[in-house]
Amino acid sequence: MRRIAIYGKGGIGKSTSSANVTDALAERGLRVMQIGCDPKADSTRLLGGDGSTVLDLMREGAGIKLPDIVREGLHGALCVECGGPRPGKGCAGRGIIAAFQELERLDAVSFYRPDVIIYDVLGDVVCGGFALPIRNGYARDVFVITSGEMMSLYAARNIAEAVEGFRADGYARFGGLVQNSRGVEGEDTLVDAAAAGMGSEVVFRIPRSPEVQRCEAMGVTVVSGAPDSEMADRYRRLAETLYTRAEDVSGGMRLGEPTEDCDCL
Amino acid sequence: MTVVMHPRPNPIVAAMYTVRDMDVDVIVMHGPAGCSFMASRPLENAGVRVVTSAMRDRDLIFGGADSLVRVLKEVKNNFSPKVVAVVGTCASTIIGDDIGTAIRKVDWGDTVCFAVDCHGCMDSNTDGAIRALTAGAKAGVISDGERERQTALLKAASELERNRGMASKRYLSPAASPTKLHVCRAIANALKGGKRVAVVMLAKKELAYRFADLFIAVDEARRAYGGETLFVANLDGTKGLPKIRRYCSEILAELDADGVEIDRIVGGLDEYAIAGDEMRKEIDSFEPDLRVFIGICHAYPDLRKEDILITDQPRELANYLSQQFSALGEVSSHNMVMGVHGIVHLETADTLREVVRESMG
Repeated sequence: MRRIAIYGKGGIGKSTSSANVTDALAERGLRVMQIGCDPKADSTRLLGGDGSTVLDLMREGAGIKLPDIVREGLHGALCVECGGPRPGKGCAGRGIIAAFQELERLDAVSFYRPDVIIYDVLGDVVCGGFALPIRNGYARDVFVITSGEMMSLYAARNIAEAVEGFRADGYARFGGLVQNSRGVEGEDTLVDAAAAGMGSEVVFRIPRSPEVQRCEAMGVTVVSGAPDSEMADRYRRLAETLYTRAEDVSGGMRLGEPTEDCDCL
Repeated sequence: MTVVMHPRPNPIVAAMYTVRDMDVDVIVMHGPAGCSFMASRPLENAGVRVVTSAMRDRDLIFGGADSLVRVLKEVKNNFSPKVVAVVGTCASTIIGDDIGTAIRKVDWGDTVCFAVDCHGCMDSNTDGAIRALTAGAKAGVISDGERERQTALLKAASELERNRGMASKRYLSPAASPTKLHVCRAIANALKGGKRVAVVMLAKKELAYRFADLFIAVDEARRAYGGETLFVANLDGTKGLPKIRRYCSEILAELDADGVEIDRIVGGLDEYAIAGDEMRKEIDSFEPDLRVFIGICHAYPDLRKEDILITDQPRELANYLSQQFSALGEVSSHNMVMGVHGIVHLETADTLREVVRESMG
C-alpha cells in the first residue's frame, strides 16, 4: 500500500490536485482512499464526497459505522473528511488525531483495503496535530504543493523541515515539490531553487489552465469533468509520478515498526 | 534552576487550595474529570464543593465552553453559593477556552464567580496560587493589600523550596519515617537532666492542627521531669485571610485550655517562609540544649546536625535524612487535618507521652 501525504499552504490547490490525483488513480482501477485533514472539510468535494465528517459524527456521540464516514466518489474513490471545530474554537490539531484514531478503531483500512491512501493536509499550521500524518507511521511519502509565491515556498520549507525532523523515527520521507504554477515571473527557477535549498527537487509542474476553474465550478475533478482535456492528462501524469515515487509498504493504516535496513538515517 | 523529576504539587492544585482559603463555596475545575482528583477529595472533606466540567475528547476538539456553562448553571441552581471559583487546567488552557466569557453566560444574581486562569505547566506551583490571589482580589473576594502580602509570601516560599526544600534536588525518593522512640527518649532525657529544650513550629496553614500536639506532649514531659522549655510557633492570629486566622484562634484556645502556653508567637500560619529569622533571635537568646523543629523545618535559617526535625512530607524527610539530620516523618498529616476544628494527635507526641508514662511507672 502506498501512503502519500500532500501538504501545502492554504489555497494553493492542494485539494484540487489531490482530488484529481485520487480520481486519476481510481480511473486506472486502483482502490484509492483520500483523507481530508482540514477543518474546512472540502478536500473530497470534487470527488463527490458529501462533506459529512468523522468529527461531526463523533461529536454527536452516536455509534459510527464505516459507511457513515467513508463515501464512495468518482471511479469508486473512497472519500473521508476528518473535519474539525468552527474557526476560533477548540483544537483542530487534536481533531485530526482523534479522527485518525476513530478510523483505526473502525478498522477502515483493513475493511476497504485501499492500494493508495492520499492524505490532503493543511500545511500552514504545523502543530502536532497537523503533523500527525507524517508521524506515527501514517504517511510514507510526503509531497508539497507550492507555487513560486513567497508565502507558499515558506510553507513548503516549514513542512520539509518538519518531515526532516521526524525522519529519524523511520516513517515519513520527503518526496519533493509539486509546482502548481501561478504565473509568477521566473516561477520555475524560483521553485527549483527553493527545492534545491531543501535538498530536494521539483517532481512535477502543473500548468495553469482555465479547465481547472471550470470543473471546480461544476464541482467535479478535471479527470472526470473534462476527461479528454490536456489538463486531465497532466493530472494523470502527476498521479503516475506520485504513485511511482511512493513506496509500496505493507501494514495497515500505519506502517509497521521501522526495520533495521530503513533509510531513515 | 533544578528541574525536579519527582511528582510535586502543581499550579492547579495550588490555585484550588488558595481559593479555599478565600472561603470560596464551590470550585469548578474546567478540565478532564479526573484532573486533581486526589487533591479535590480533602477539599470536599473540608467543606468546599469541588465539581468538574468533565471535558471529553470532543470538548478538546470543538471547545469546552458549552460543557463549562452547563456545569456553572447547575452549580448556581443546586448549591446557591456565595462565591464560586473556576480553575483552569492544562486541557482547557491548551485549547484556549475562554473561561471568562463562559462565566458571563450564566445569570449569577448575588453570587460572585471568578476565573483562575492557570495550568499545570507553569513554572512553579505558587504561580497558580498567585493567579488565584490576583483573580480573587479583582473579584473583590480579598483585598488588594492581602493579595500583595500573600504574593510576596508565596514567592518567598518558592525560593525556600528551590534553595533548601523539595525543589532543591532533581529527584528525591520518598523516605519512610524512622520510629519515633529515639527522638522522644532524647527529649525526655534532656528534660530529665534539667536541660533546656526549644520546640519550634513552622507550620503551613492547617497542618498546625496536628503539629501543635507536640507542644502539649513536651509540656506534659516538662511537668513530669523538670527542665526548661521554650515554645515558639507561627500562630499569629492577626495575619492572613480570615480562615487562616481562625486556625490560630482555635489552636491557641485549645492549648490554653490544656494549660500550655506558646512563649513566643512569631508570624502567621502563611508566614512560615519568612518567620525563621525572627524566631532565631528568640531561640538563640534561650540558649537551648536541644532544639526540635516541626513543620517546614528548613525555613529555619540555622539548622544544626544535632537538631530534631519533624515533617509531614516523605520527600522532605528524605531530604533531611540525606543531610544526616535526626528527622521524623508524620506522613499523611494533611489528610488528618482537612476540615478539623481541634488539635489532632501526633504520633511523635503520643510516643513521648508513652515514654513519660512508662518512666513514671
